Amino acid sequence: MDIGAPETEHEIEIAPLEEPVPSPAPAEEPAQEPVPA
Amino acid sequence: MSSRAAFVEPIVAWRLWHVRRHDDLYRLESFTWHHVSWPARARFEAECSTHGAAAPVEGHECGIYAFKTRELAEDLLRRYTGVRQHYGRPYQELPPLRQGCPIAIGRVSLWGRVLARENGFRAQYAYPYDLFLIGGEDVLARELRRLYAVDVWPS
Repeated sequence: MDIGAPETEHEIEIAPLEEPVPSPAPAEEPAQEPVPA
Repeated sequence: MSSRAAFVEPIVAWRLWHVRRHDDLYRLESFTWHHVSWPARARFEAECSTHGAAAPVEGHECGIYAFKTRELAEDLLRRYTGVRQHYGRPYQELPPLRQGCPIAIGRVSLWGRVLARENGFRAQYAYPYDLFLIGGEDVLARELRRLYAVDVWPS
């Protein structure tokens, strides 16, 4: 990918308070059988 | 030697991905490196055959690449497909992609150690921010949305 000339490069340090990554998907609970009264 | 600026907000930039099926699931794959899959719901980490997890390294070409603008990402797509047109909303034209080989263009969050140039970035960590599918239908958009938990717009 052409992102420009290397000699113009400068460094940035980014430490987000919270990483921009979604949480893991919640585990699906098994459907419960109706319990007879 | 470079001066280093520090921030707490991720950079949001633009890039392209291939969308390919792995086992039973579609995955985003690096556009320029074949069979490098982006994990779902986990950060993608730069790795370098020379510098390992220290990527991106100054004076080298390692790291996760992204462009500063959508137009620059579209330029790469035009070079790839050999056509001149815009993709994604509000444009509806589809490029002549191979059947079953969709592409995603979208924004990506970048953080960690990032090296910035005129047109883009090389980053240590990344995760997709949102995606516009080219050559993909609603069912694929739904699958990617569920898997990566980001907005995905079908073409």
